[in-house]
Amino acid sequence: MTNSNPNHSEITTALGEEGLGQQPWWVEQWMELINSYRFKKRLERAWTYAREGNVTSIRFEGRRVHARVQGTGEDPYKVKLWLDVLNDEDWGYVLEALTQKARWSAQLLAGTMPADIERAFAASGRRLFPFKLQEVRSECSCPDKANPCKHISAIYFLMGDRFSEDPFVLFQLRGRTRAKLLADLAEQRREVLAAIAAAEKSISNANQNNANDLAIPPHPAIVDPSLWWRYEGSLNADLVVITPAMEGETGLDCAGELPLAEEPRFPEARQKFLCHLKEQGQALAQKAMLLAMTAGD
Amino acid sequence: MLPLIGSSKLLPKLLHDFRVAAMSLLHATWLPAIRTPTSSGRPALLVWADTWRVAKPAGPDITPALHPFTLNADELRGWLKDQDLLPNGIIDATACLTLPSRSLKPRNTRNSQVQSSKADQEEAPEWTGLPLQAGEPIPKNAEWWPWQVEGLALEPSAATAWLSHLPLSGRHPDLGDELRWWSHMERWALSIIARGRWLPQVELSKGEGYPHRARWVPLLNREDDRRRLEELAASLPLVATCALPWREPTGKRSNRTTRLRPEAMREANPIASCRPRSGRLRVANLLEELVDAQLRKEFLVNAEGLDHLLASWQQALGSETGVINLSSEEAERLATASHHWREGVAGNVAPARACLELFSPTEGKELWELRFALQAEADPTLKVPASTAWATGPKILQLGEVRVEHPGEVLLEGLGRALSVFSPIERGLDNATPETMQLTPAEAFVLVRTAANQLRDVGVGVELPPSLSGGLASRLGLAIKAELPETSRGFTLGESLDWSWELMIGGVTLTLRELERLAGKRSPLVRHKGAWIELRPNDLKNAELFCSANPEISLDDALRLTATEGNTLMRLPVHLFEAGPRLQTVLEQYHQQKAPDPLPAPEGFHGQLRPYQERGLGWLAFLHRFDQGACLADDMGLGKTIQLLAFLQHLKTEQELKRPILLIAPTSVLTNWKREALAFTPELIVLEHYGPRRSSSLSKLKTNLQKVDLVLTSYGLMQRDIDLLEMIDWQGIVIDEAQAIKNPNAKQSKAVRDIAKPIKTNRFRIALTGTPVENRVSEVWALMDFLNPRVLGEEDFFHQRYRMPIERYGDMSSLKDLKARVSPFILRRLKTDKAIISDLPEKVELSEWVGLSKEQTSLYQKTVEDTLDAIARSPRGQRHGKVLGLLTRLKQICNHPALALKETTVEGEFINRSSKMQRLEEILEEVIEAGDRALLFTQFAEWGHLLQAYLQQRWRSEVPFLHGSTRKTERQEMVDRFQEDPRGPQLFLLSLKAGGVGLNLTRASHVFHIDRWWNPAVENQATDRAYRIGQSKRVMVHKFITSGSVEEKIDHMIREKSRLAEDIIGSGEDWLGGLGVSQLRELVTLQND
Repeated sequence: MTNSNPNHSEITTALGEEGLGQQPWWVEQWMELINSYRFKKRLERAWTYAREGNVTSIRFEGRRVHARVQGTGEDPYKVKLWLDVLNDEDWGYVLEALTQKARWSAQLLAGTMPADIERAFAASGRRLFPFKLQEVRSECSCPDKANPCKHISAIYFLMGDRFSEDPFVLFQLRGRTRAKLLADLAEQRREVLAAIAAAEKSISNANQNNANDLAIPPHPAIVDPSLWWRYEGSLNADLVVITPAMEGETGLDCAGELPLAEEPRFPEARQKFLCHLKEQGQALAQKAMLLAMTAGD
Repeated sequence: MLPLIGSSKLLPKLLHDFRVAAMSLLHATWLPAIRTPTSSGRPALLVWADTWRVAKPAGPDITPALHPFTLNADELRGWLKDQDLLPNGIIDATACLTLPSRSLKPRNTRNSQVQSSKADQEEAPEWTGLPLQAGEPIPKNAEWWPWQVEGLALEPSAATAWLSHLPLSGRHPDLGDELRWWSHMERWALSIIARGRWLPQVELSKGEGYPHRARWVPLLNREDDRRRLEELAASLPLVATCALPWREPTGKRSNRTTRLRPEAMREANPIASCRPRSGRLRVANLLEELVDAQLRKEFLVNAEGLDHLLASWQQALGSETGVINLSSEEAERLATASHHWREGVAGNVAPARACLELFSPTEGKELWELRFALQAEADPTLKVPASTAWATGPKILQLGEVRVEHPGEVLLEGLGRALSVFSPIERGLDNATPETMQLTPAEAFVLVRTAANQLRDVGVGVELPPSLSGGLASRLGLAIKAELPETSRGFTLGESLDWSWELMIGGVTLTLRELERLAGKRSPLVRHKGAWIELRPNDLKNAELFCSANPEISLDDALRLTATEGNTLMRLPVHLFEAGPRLQTVLEQYHQQKAPDPLPAPEGFHGQLRPYQERGLGWLAFLHRFDQGACLADDMGLGKTIQLLAFLQHLKTEQELKRPILLIAPTSVLTNWKREALAFTPELIVLEHYGPRRSSSLSKLKTNLQKVDLVLTSYGLMQRDIDLLEMIDWQGIVIDEAQAIKNPNAKQSKAVRDIAKPIKTNRFRIALTGTPVENRVSEVWALMDFLNPRVLGEEDFFHQRYRMPIERYGDMSSLKDLKARVSPFILRRLKTDKAIISDLPEKVELSEWVGLSKEQTSLYQKTVEDTLDAIARSPRGQRHGKVLGLLTRLKQICNHPALALKETTVEGEFINRSSKMQRLEEILEEVIEAGDRALLFTQFAEWGHLLQAYLQQRWRSEVPFLHGSTRKTERQEMVDRFQEDPRGPQLFLLSLKAGGVGLNLTRASHVFHIDRWWNPAVENQATDRAYRIGQSKRVMVHKFITSGSVEEKIDHMIREKSRLAEDIIGSGEDWLGGLGVSQLRELVTLQND
């Protein structure tokens, strides 16, 4: 693993020419994995295959990836990919390690895949990402005896991109969904806290009178039914004049690239989609400002 | 016995020639999406209106009871059309709303047996009552029940279009408060769209039968949007969201009447009420609906070159319903990707957020401390340290009244977001339950200068030390000490003050040399006198500039600098202004923080001043010393006339009254002024400049003006004679009923403002008005231009700076600034003010002196002449009747010629034919503006009908008239409505006989006796309808007296309590018959005064 850049978020890959552009680190890592594969010729053919749109679907279903690839036959071939699942004991180690650093939970909760997540997995002696392509188990319904066949290889190419739609799908392939993982983490944290609390008795007193036992105070409108109708507020000063976004501050600007895997036959589609949204966004913003100016007339 | 002359039968239906606007209040409630076999399950805005009517208590049966006070769809349509508020794209609808209700037993409990047995069969509802209406007094035990409400439904995009044209500010008698809330929501949605703060999303089906949809979702991560969400959620009027998911009997929002069977109905809609809950999520959802509807409507689809997935998404974003045409598998993929996309920008709406608190290093240390905390969104001052959040574990954390579930997760998510914009905190998150970390000075600087705002924009709170908080106090400014010079009296504005100043930043003072030294350190954060401060590039330059200029400041500057916060002197904000004791007194009085020193009634003033009137007099004198115009805007009935007369007398006594003063008033009150001046300030020499005998040439006027103190004229004549009046060197100009100049472009107001401008010598300006001028932005400019032209500048500037932002958008900061500027010159006391109420008797009697119009005068004189002769010639037996007839007719003439001439319409010049009518209208105008309620008593039924017709036309609202032939049930309804309907009539006409006894009308705070009765006891009895002992409000009793007429004689007799009066009280009008012709002549002849 060559995870040299601790500034996790975005790295330009060498595969830029192939249309991948800026990619999150885990896509890069996946591509490295593929490129480490020995049979370059087969890879090249698979890439062409993928680019021409022969892969008709990829689905993450539980711990497996199900895909369909249109081969030479009439019916598409069915491809299955899966990774070795971590058992509960292994997950136990991972969770324990993840709990050590609040940052990992923080990033996972905020929707960021921590760049050094493998270090938590190392505690169990396992990995999140496969280290070698051989670790990616696969099956294809094509007659080709070789594994990976070109159908499977074509899926390899598209998988990386699919990870960016939801990086946490990796956890799923290893046996836990993100939601489950977060719930387990919260549970683990509680245990750690309980342990700390037991060690330092003093803290516990402060929590005894905690909120759970308190009844929910009645809604103010129950106490004063006239609140049903009353509104005394005046227009917020910032809404008096409706202003456009500052440079680079629209939601689209801030959100950046749409993390949707590219459909190889429409390499420009994502770009076009976003451009059109931006153009329309500007036109709609203009209209909104005009409407706001005539309000109250 | 009181004669009630005439009968209403004589009057045709003149009252119904025009439409009396129904007193309805418009409401708008959001209906959440309900999926039915025939509806797509889209949400809608229900527009409905309630109105007052008599209703029987009702309760839920199979379905909730029909709301008895709502307008039905047709009435509502008509009413909205009248109001010019009819939306496009409406459909008739019925919804089920939860409303606070009053429990009431059914009225007809004493039913016949047949009925009651029938009722038994139908199962009497468990509960009966009536829904409360907005503004109605709240009963002690309000309950919440569902009601079926009829109205008109608007689909979201039609709803947004309609909402964006509702007024953004001000109270509107026909619009419920929540419509303003809605208009603010819509404005927020427009702002979100204008700033592009949205992302398209795909939302998965909520369950069987629901489609997957493409949505436009607002991003609410930024600090300002989060604040707004909290504000609008905290102030949410619940009626806006009180709809229950409920299926209509028709199964669809339309006219079709394929009713569900009762059983199906019962099953579909169990009787339930919605429970008020925290509004945050609801309001965020409503905003989403408004944003989505508008973007969807305008978005143009262009799917060229898109793959199937993106093309379908785009198509759905531009479609009306948003339904996305993809397989579940594909939709799920888009939903996951779009959710992950959004997650990178904005989190979920939560009651609390992570907060970073920065603490400066202690003395001698280098590193700054950053503590992690959890902070309530609704109130950032509610905070707990991270340790508490960790320790809470799976329980709920209570932050004040805010409940936070999973506080640890909320904190962690926030820290995760913080990490993405401020990487140094990575170090601090290395252990399991981080609480605090240290920052280098460089990191702290980055946090203060740039990262703090970025953090706030991703939804993380940041608290900086006060001296660095970025507010005004953290900027370099001035601390000033000032006092009036020893020799000064403090009466001229240009006068220089003794003063000293120091530079100040972040709450600490520093010298220029210290500033130079600190700036020399070239470090952005420096420590001075224990506080950390941030120096900005131009600070030193500005300070040097100020020091070298070393300016003087005047009293005028001091007044300006202390008026509002954030004022600057040579670009430096004034942080502190310490005034010496003598200057302080002047400032306090000027800013009305302290009541002006009272001034006792001057010598030569015949009468008593109440304590608040002495303060008013003191205030007029105070501003006069500064040569500032003053507007006395006391509530009607508090004695503005008296205060002004006392002020003029004060000038006279102090020998400061050297030249004449011009008082301009509406014609209708000139008589009153003359009377009052005569009574209270007999020393003042008054000249009337009105009527045909007024001076027409300058020389004649100048001759007449010798020794004159006060000249009375009307607005109309002032404008007509402006060339003449302009030539006089007035000492002051006073305008009464100053709202007469509210239209700045009217000739009349221009003339008034012109004549107020000094020519050679100073000319004081005083305006009197009973209306709340400071609240009427459009009117305040003309008034201030009359009083003190410099205060608000030119009209164009005023329009841009104040009027537009305030009137159209309700901009509070502009309004505050405007009020701060004008408030030194306006004194307004209300009769409900605590300080005033104790000074007032419970009943304040006001004599309204009025004259007679030309038509009235000639009719009066002719009637007297003709009838007196006839009486003298008639036999004794008939004389009595004739005398009574004469008196009645004269009183009628005083009211209005139309009454005496038995006219039945109020067309054309009706108002101008009677001086009394004109004055009455002026006073009523104030009553209505103030939102007060009034009883109007007359002894003539015909006059009541005429007046009712006129008043209804004038204010386009209903004015009930209770008289002898009103049926008993109608009477009760009129009284109930006046007393209880929150939007009931403000004016109530009653005949003295029918309405004088037995009724309880305590909602009125004004009583008008339009014509006089001989017996004060009868009038008092009528007055007592409004007044009850122990009542805390004061009742103003207005008695109209036509000057010089029989009415004045009656008033005189009542006042003098002469023997004659006692006879009158004892015997009604019988004695009149016994009067000799000469006595009679004296009583009825019009006195010219």
